[in-house]
Amino acid sequence: MKKALIIMAKEVRDFLRDKGDLAFSLLLPILIFGIFYGAFGGNVGFNGTAYVVNEDPGGKYSALLLQNLGSYKGLTIQMLSASDANDRLNRSNILLALFIPQGFSANLAADQPTQLTFKQRGNGGTEGEIVTSMVEGAADSISQELQIQNNVQTAVSNSGISAQQINVTVQQFVAQEQAAPLLTVQDVTTGNNPDPVNQYLPGIMTMFVLFAVNLTAQTLVDERRKGTLERLLVSKLKVGELFLGKFLAYTARGFLQTTILLLLAYAVFRIFTPVSFLEALVIALIFAATCSTIGLIIGALSKTPNQATWISVFITMVMVMLSGTFVAISPGSVLATLSHVSINTYANNAFSALFTHGGSLASVWTDIAVMVGVAIVGLVISRFLFRVTEGGK
Amino acid sequence: MTEEFVIAKDLHKSFKDLKAVDGVSFTIEKGEIFGLLGPNGAGKTTTIRILSTIIPADNGEVTIGGYDLKKNPDAVRGIIGICPQELALYADLSAFENLIFFGRMAGLSTKEAAQQAMANLELMGLADRGKKGKVDKFSGGMKRRVNLAISLMGHPELLFLDEPTVGIDPQSRNNIFETIQNLREKGMTILYTTHYMEEADKLCRRVAIMDGGKIIAMDTPHALKSQIGNPEHVTLEEVFLKLTGRSLRD
Repeated sequence: MKKALIIMAKEVRDFLRDKGDLAFSLLLPILIFGIFYGAFGGNVGFNGTAYVVNEDPGGKYSALLLQNLGSYKGLTIQMLSASDANDRLNRSNILLALFIPQGFSANLAADQPTQLTFKQRGNGGTEGEIVTSMVEGAADSISQELQIQNNVQTAVSNSGISAQQINVTVQQFVAQEQAAPLLTVQDVTTGNNPDPVNQYLPGIMTMFVLFAVNLTAQTLVDERRKGTLERLLVSKLKVGELFLGKFLAYTARGFLQTTILLLLAYAVFRIFTPVSFLEALVIALIFAATCSTIGLIIGALSKTPNQATWISVFITMVMVMLSGTFVAISPGSVLATLSHVSINTYANNAFSALFTHGGSLASVWTDIAVMVGVAIVGLVISRFLFRVTEGGK
Repeated sequence: MTEEFVIAKDLHKSFKDLKAVDGVSFTIEKGEIFGLLGPNGAGKTTTIRILSTIIPADNGEVTIGGYDLKKNPDAVRGIIGICPQELALYADLSAFENLIFFGRMAGLSTKEAAQQAMANLELMGLADRGKKGKVDKFSGGMKRRVNLAISLMGHPELLFLDEPTVGIDPQSRNNIFETIQNLREKGMTILYTTHYMEEADKLCRRVAIMDGGKIIAMDTPHALKSQIGNPEHVTLEEVFLKLTGRSLRD
């Protein structure tokens, strides 16, 4: 154990001495987070664009539809020509376009059925699905208004009231209803806001700790390549002590990285209570340990620095993508199932629970148990896979 | 009466189809410098790796300092030191820090490691530069001397020197050469491999010439030279080339 601690102290000292390494590993996560915060800060609602081809220019109801769409918060309307829309759809430059057909207003005025058309790539993307819902809502509103108007006209057709008078009266009632609707929807927020800090901080923290698996792997490959490994093992150092030392060193490194970001979050964004901050540190420590063992497994498997780099890149890419760091993963989807193989998923879940849901260590114990399990099993596997040299111990 | 400090009997080691060591047997007496010579790929480094507990032999027995290598590898590690062919040191540390670190790994206390580190750096002519700057900035010769100084940490009874003077300037080579002579005078047992035949001739009491994983000749340099002519006029290199041939090996 004593020798493991000496190895750990040497590795940590090397890390702290290397100003470039220190700057990249500590400042880069802060910089990336700053970029995300700047890009998305303060704007958590929907922001999207409805691409519209209006083949019914000057029509009463196409204008009304566009007016209704324009009233949606966060929705921008961009008018396109049909050829431009088709071209951009073909190039996947846009994923969905709304086509208002020729004679749209005239048909509606004549009480004839008419149809709006969505042209889309695949399912139109998440933004497209939301825009579709908004258009359907706006179209429904017009349709209902027209139906009420027609129904009233039919019901009072023998009363001697003119059609124009009926229309004016119905529109007055509709306007009153819209101004003071009987049925309203109320948004009730529970817990903290899902602001950019809460949304992106866990993913960015865990991503950078995971990136360090390459460094952990390289340290073993380097020791073997330079011959220091043989020299160390000819001294009375046991391979287990070497692994423990490396494990502790890179756990400490990952923990330090995460702690800096957590301190930043604590001081600047005030998303913690003292207790939840300490709980976040515990999760950070466990996650750093888990990443260390993944690095040791890669180092044990790799014979050259390049092998270690490529295996690490592949693993970190897959784990970051599957953990929903940048793209939200829908519950119940195939990605949601696959995300269970990413260790970042468990860390992100645990951090998110603390940040946004007022969770505690007890409430994320399954995520913690998975990470601890991977760390222990990973440490054993890496030792089992490790060979000092071909034919060696 | 001489004491056999190293006894290697019928060692075999193969890597897939390659027989790297094929029935090697020899003994080294306590306080002796024993030379292991041979062309590249002869099996010298594999033999050292077996003796220094890094890789196990497929067959054969080794006793070092009375300890059976298979049964008691930890005890063997406690009395050996190795200076590998590669510069096995940490470029980001100073020479002094390298020595301290490997000394601690050899089981020395911080104080003992510091004392031995200073003594070894002085021995290698590096006392002035030992604490100044990273080893990375040292010349090739200085790095070689640090490499040797590290292997002396913990005062090993048996030292494996795997080509310790390769690729360095005459001054550094001379320093290492003199250091090895000093160590011999202090009674250290040394297994020495080199491609410089005149070094082996001057330093080693006996040499074994390996080729193709086997020992093809083993005797004192004088006796080996006598086999092909007048030992006063024949060089060990001539003996070596006669026994191993002139064809290139790599």
